Amino acid sequence: MIRIVTLGEFPPDVLDHVQRRLHAAYGMGCELQGEAKLPKSALDQALGGYDGAKLIDQIDDDTELYGDDKLLYLTTAPISAPLGPMGKGPTDGFAQQGAGKCVVSSALLGGKNQLSLEAGLAKRAAHYVGHLWDLHHCYDPRCAMHPGWAPGFLQYPEVALCLFCREKSEKKIKLGQG
Amino acid sequence: MTTSGKEIQIGDGSLRVGDRVVYPNQGICRITGVEVKQIAAGHSLEMVLLKREEDGATVMVPRAKVMGIGLRKVASAEIIDEVFDYLASPNDDPQLDWKVRHRENADKMTGGGLFGTAEVLKGLHALTRIRPLPQKERELYDSARHLLLGEIAAACNISMHTAEDNLDYALFPPAGMKRKGVELKLIAPVVALPLKGMRSADDDLGFEDEDEEDVAEVAPAGASEESEEDGEAEEEKPKRKLQLVPKGGGAVKAARSESKAKPAAKAAKSAKEKKPAKAAAPAKAAAAKKPAKGDKPKSAVKAKKGKS
Repeated sequence: MIRIVTLGEFPPDVLDHVQRRLHAAYGMGCELQGEAKLPKSALDQALGGYDGAKLIDQIDDDTELYGDDKLLYLTTAPISAPLGPMGKGPTDGFAQQGAGKCVVSSALLGGKNQLSLEAGLAKRAAHYVGHLWDLHHCYDPRCAMHPGWAPGFLQYPEVALCLFCREKSEKKIKLGQG
Repeated sequence: MTTSGKEIQIGDGSLRVGDRVVYPNQGICRITGVEVKQIAAGHSLEMVLLKREEDGATVMVPRAKVMGIGLRKVASAEIIDEVFDYLASPNDDPQLDWKVRHRENADKMTGGGLFGTAEVLKGLHALTRIRPLPQKERELYDSARHLLLGEIAAACNISMHTAEDNLDYALFPPAGMKRKGVELKLIAPVVALPLKGMRSADDDLGFEDEDEEDVAEVAPAGASEESEEDGEAEEEKPKRKLQLVPKGGGAVKAARSESKAKPAAKAAKSAKEKKPAKAAAPAKAAAAKKPAKGDKPKSAVKAKKGKS
């Protein structure tokens, strides 16, 4: 089951769309779990957003995860990541690779040269949930696992996984259920 | 019997119990000890025990083969920096011969170390800009990416997710991304090929070329047909019924009908030659458009003769 917790206000139809798209992408149940507050301690002024890893660690949320459950936090606040070897780059979420929790930001969606809030949030959600099943970035621009900053991500707003990513996620889901 | 003292030296002496190491094709492991294992009656081997960090699996390697399999320490941050320099450098031309590529990639993955894995990833990534990868290479691409990410994350002490984002800032540079002060070139998005293009290049049967040739042949021919039509329309309207190439069928459609109708078209051509008065106007137009082709002016001359 994919459980969604909102860390801000989202229109119900947008959340409904995200749930439907996630269900279609991974063939798993997806339900809205509730709301929680953004932990202010995770705000990183220097990076200009909430540190994704800290946010997930410090969030005050009593959602319980069973078995292969995945938890998706949705926020309107910008997310940042610690600097790596390439320096600062675009970030719209954070996922615990191969683990249980991820956070996705709707920042910038609906703006110029961006996907609509509905389509963009669904695609980003599918992307980060994919990381929870250990999926890596995919070179196919039609795949939801294509990097979010690459032009292909905007070019193909549909939430779809390429054959390879779909098969890999299905294997992981089966293993998790086993 | 397990010995887990830190003083035990493994391999060439650079590895010790407790070290984080990279096992080629397996990922990051930690050396947990050395154990003597009974392999067969009277045979025992000294095994190095490794614990894979990703899933906690235990891997046993004969102590004498530690260096042979390429077990090595996790790279330093400086080496990782060099790897990123390499990844962010302009694309190399990918190896197009699949046999050579397969052999080279297998060698690099097992014995090439960190740079070998990076080369495999970059080579396959460059290949994806030309065509989609076949299943086995897609798996290799994913595996190389996974191993590289594990080592980057371990060496730089960052999460796998941050490591992956950084890796792709180099492979799919976003606008304005710089590496050591030099702005990286934006790489054109990979063309999402339609289903027709999803087949592997190895089974290129040359149909595309044929189609293109047909279209190239037909498009001007269609144009000349149009001009023929116009000419005919001026002279004799009922002759329109004899058109062999469907009107308004589009270039490709016309190409297909043309290829089917080629013998018929030849017959029609000879018929036109027999009835020069009716074909005079189109022949003139064709001759004016394509003076280089030998047969058209011929027919034009014939047509002129006929008319006179």
